Amino acid sequence: MSDATTAALRLERLRFGYGGTTVLDGIDLAVEEGNFLALLGPSGSGKSTLLRLIAGLERPESGRVFAGDRPVAGPDVERAVVFQNYALFPWMRVVDNVAEGVRKARPGIARTAARVRAADYLERVGLPGVAESYPFELSGGMQQRAAIARALALESPFLLMDEPFGALDPVNRARLQDLLVELWQGRAPRPTVVFVTHDVDEALLLADRVPVLGASPGRVITDFAVPFERPRSRAALFGEHRFHALRESIAEALDADTLARLAAA
Amino acid sequence: MISETSTLDAVSAPADTRDDADAGATRSARLAFAWEPWLLWLALIAAWQGIASLIAGQGNPLLPPPVVVLDALWQSLPELFTGTWSSLLILLPGFALAVVGGVGLGLVAGTSPRLGRAFFPFAKVAAPVPPTVYIPYAIAVLPTFHLSATFVVFVGAFWPVFQNTVAGAHAVEGRHRDNAAVLGFSRLEYLRKVVFPASLPHIFSGMAVGLGFGFILLTVAELFGANAGLGRFVQYYADFADYPRMVAGILYTGVVTWAAMTVLERVRARALFWLR
Repeated sequence: MSDATTAALRLERLRFGYGGTTVLDGIDLAVEEGNFLALLGPSGSGKSTLLRLIAGLERPESGRVFAGDRPVAGPDVERAVVFQNYALFPWMRVVDNVAEGVRKARPGIARTAARVRAADYLERVGLPGVAESYPFELSGGMQQRAAIARALALESPFLLMDEPFGALDPVNRARLQDLLVELWQGRAPRPTVVFVTHDVDEALLLADRVPVLGASPGRVITDFAVPFERPRSRAALFGEHRFHALRESIAEALDADTLARLAAA
Repeated sequence: MISETSTLDAVSAPADTRDDADAGATRSARLAFAWEPWLLWLALIAAWQGIASLIAGQGNPLLPPPVVVLDALWQSLPELFTGTWSSLLILLPGFALAVVGGVGLGLVAGTSPRLGRAFFPFAKVAAPVPPTVYIPYAIAVLPTFHLSATFVVFVGAFWPVFQNTVAGAHAVEGRHRDNAAVLGFSRLEYLRKVVFPASLPHIFSGMAVGLGFGFILLTVAELFGANAGLGRFVQYYADFADYPRMVAGILYTGVVTWAAMTVLERVRARALFWLR
């Protein structure tokens, strides 16, 4: 576990609930700068809530979130977020959606310059020539690419992603996974990524580290380092016995949590 | 005559779009559907003619036949055009003020809990008051009829626009709110770039209701004190028992209202192109 003083992101004794239900309890987590973290958990483990707490979209009942050395008090452009439902504004052209991110990263930039940069980002996520389209003219995968472009345009040190590829077909999902790793590695310094998913393979393919959440209440039940060298390929991973061993351990941890919950009920 | 043009339309439609079989099919389907309103119009005019000749035979002038009304309409057109102009000079400023004020206040009150708490109890009491009851008072208090009528149109159109805008602001989807928050939008940016466009479907509903109210209040106000205008036209010829002109005025007012609603509907379709 990393030293708390060098951590880019630190969660301390985090607790969250509403209406008498405790959603998350006793969350302690420290993430090193530039790390790619995949928060893995079954539905009901509060993993999306945890991401919203880190983003500042929800306030914890108790405990604190630190980004850098500052406590998180609300949403901030230094923590870019990509949501599951490609949430572009449907009334803005795709390029203007991305330009909103550019404008925040570079206050005072002229409108045309912001649009040029935005078109640049769109090209980088593999979307040339759709700048002047509206979101409804794009497929789900393309909209999610544009949402990623908007998050990248913020040039934030943190990138928070809430099951961003959950609604995509397998082909698009694989393409976007590769694109994400490429973009993350291509930036210096690398942003710290927190990626929420319930897909074990996705977590192991993308992340440096996989904390696993148990359900009711959500808490970290185990935390795995992912040792595979980059660049990773799906074919190589599936041929590697350590990959299957890790998968097995994660499945066991989740099963044990489920059984303990059933026994308690 | 009406049935002839419709037949011509129906026959020529497939020829227009022969290059695209699909478009041709949907187009002719739509045209087939468009038959019903014309049939209804035809039936209504026939009934009108029938009843009119029936009671005219008994020496009753209350329902002039279509041809007589058409002639009265033709004779009155210059007068009606001036009347329309005079009416629009009341309706448009009143309605525009209602839209600007209703949307502006609605957006602010709909996004600020504190202002909402201040406004909504008042709105609950003030909005349901039938705006027609303000007319005599407005005419008595305000210096000119034009100002009084504009004010009454404004009051009538304001509440539907305001209430629908508030409903629209309350209905902004959570994902849009979240995205505005993580993009660091200021309150003004949030209102302008997110709440306003997201509320547009509601706003246009409010505008349609408000425009309807506006026409009602306009014509009622004109019955009270105008010396020109659409409502005034009908009232004036009623005093002379000139039924052909009265009916012509009613029909003409219907057409003007319909035209205004159609324009609003066109603007709505344009502004909400992104709504799928």
